[in-house]
Amino acid sequence: MKWLKRCWRDTLFKRLFILLWVTLVGSHFLAFSLVMSQVGRPYGGHDGRHEGGPAREAPSAWSRLLIFPSLPPMGGRADGPPGSPGHAGSGPPPPLTPQGGRPERGLPGWLLALDYGVRMLIIALAAWLGAAWLSRPMRRLSAAAHGLGEALQRDAAPPKLDEDQGTVEVREAAQVFNQMAAQLQQQFKARGLLVAAISHDLRTPLTRMRLRLETLDHEPAAQRCVADIHEMDALIESVLQVFRGAHAGEAMVSMDVLALAQSLADDLAEQGHAVTVEGEPALARAQPTSLRRVLGNLLGNALRYGERAEVTVAVLGDRVLLRIDDQGPGIPEAQLEAVFQPFYRVESSRNRATGGSGLGLYIARDLTLRQGGELLLSNRPEGGLRVELTLRRA
Amino acid sequence: MIRCLVVDDDSEIRQGLQAFLERFGMQVSVAADGRQMRQLLGAAAFDVVVLDIMLPDASGLDLCRWVAQQHATPVIMLTAQGDPGSRIVGLEMGADDYLGKPFEPRELVARINAVLRRAGKGGAPQGAAPQPSRQLRFEGWAFDRLLRQLVSPQQVVVALSSAEFRLLSAFVERPGRVLSRDQLIELTRAPGVEVNDRSIDLAVSRLRQKLGDSPREPRLIRTLRGEGYLFDVKVSP
Repeated sequence: MKWLKRCWRDTLFKRLFILLWVTLVGSHFLAFSLVMSQVGRPYGGHDGRHEGGPAREAPSAWSRLLIFPSLPPMGGRADGPPGSPGHAGSGPPPPLTPQGGRPERGLPGWLLALDYGVRMLIIALAAWLGAAWLSRPMRRLSAAAHGLGEALQRDAAPPKLDEDQGTVEVREAAQVFNQMAAQLQQQFKARGLLVAAISHDLRTPLTRMRLRLETLDHEPAAQRCVADIHEMDALIESVLQVFRGAHAGEAMVSMDVLALAQSLADDLAEQGHAVTVEGEPALARAQPTSLRRVLGNLLGNALRYGERAEVTVAVLGDRVLLRIDDQGPGIPEAQLEAVFQPFYRVESSRNRATGGSGLGLYIARDLTLRQGGELLLSNRPEGGLRVELTLRRA
Repeated sequence: MIRCLVVDDDSEIRQGLQAFLERFGMQVSVAADGRQMRQLLGAAAFDVVVLDIMLPDASGLDLCRWVAQQHATPVIMLTAQGDPGSRIVGLEMGADDYLGKPFEPRELVARINAVLRRAGKGGAPQGAAPQPSRQLRFEGWAFDRLLRQLVSPQQVVVALSSAEFRLLSAFVERPGRVLSRDQLIELTRAPGVEVNDRSIDLAVSRLRQKLGDSPREPRLIRTLRGEGYLFDVKVSP
């Protein structure tokens, strides 16, 4: 009973088996009938009535069959059709009928071509339909897997596969996939909540400390404590940015890169920093808030380590190039790539009281890549670091 | 005297803020949760509410909306979460300003003064303005006041500096009115920044550049010799 039930279930194996079986049998049968109907013509002598199709001719063809058993070839011909005789045998019974006294002979060339042609055509058609039929669940699965990544990024509900459709294997895969997606989303959510909670629980005591320090106004030590609070807060903000980055589903829009650089430079100049901007108006495809953060981080670095920043914006073919030069010590060649790792610090900057979270460049590159851009560092021959940010031109 | 209500569930932050703000001549009441806040607001009038977004008994966002609807008292939101999304939601819920914890105490004082100035307490040129909408449109441009950016008629995002943002905010709130440099200096004052005639002129020329307004024959921001500037367009929400 159980065995019967299992046989009844819709399995990939059954689909494949039925497909192959029906195709082969069907193609042989149809090719055979068609050829037979043609064979019937010269022998039967009913001119002009063959246009009616093989069905009408069937009686004559079937009667011919008794004396014309060479289809499908049962022997004598080494180069028989690709369909194996065994399969053909499971089709219609006629070829098994006892032979008449006629000698074995081959078919005329055009009939052979028709025979092979029909089989190939039908097998090809069935293979095409069958492949589509069989691969549909796989395509659904891959589409859902694709959507999963995006859903996690946008913090949306993960795509769900239908667990009551398709073969047993597919249903099982759908169940496993749905479970996995739900677990992944839960973990993403938990991680976000954890980071938010930690940041909240760190910032509340920092606020208390900051208010307490107000009562010790003119102590130099109090001023240093205030600076430490700012530094810790900046670190918390950076860590939050790293986690937020994973959820950034900001839309790509056309953006005036020169205007953005100019705005940030004006803001920094207002606070007394030395930043200059030159270049031509350049429109890029970018995420406005992310790009602002990237530029903010890069300009912050340039001012922290290089005292002044010179920004140049240019259009290069289908890219927009934004270059930031500073006059700092640069970065040893061997570490130019390593500085993009989170919390990595160049030895010389570690000893200086320059602050910074060690996450700025990591965040900048991560956000740049998300926008289809590139971020490269190099040392200028005349001294200082050069940062080159390229974006897709709008 | 400015009457200020501080709502925060952390008792030390409450007391610290109370002591600090009183040093600046404010009259400060404190509440530990939403229930107390509603009671106090029902019993006495306040000029400004400083409201923490995370309270034990209610969402700060709901309270913020409630204050905006029931009392029309300006609200400055405090949050330790620092999520840019919550800033936008908070401002859309009717908060007048937003400050992330930990903040510089003096920054809070400056924000309180700025909010009161905007609300018409400090002699602002306009009467009790309704909650300004997030996006304003003029001449095909869209001005997003939360993201502090312009979107051109060709859908290009044009970023604004703080100075340009403050200046454009002053202009769009008073379209068709001549504003003298002194008025603009007053309207675009910001903590820790020196605003003077020169910086106003610089911000105007940068804004014209970004708006594609010709400096010789400006159409949007017109110069009236000896009087000041005129933002000569129709602004719609």
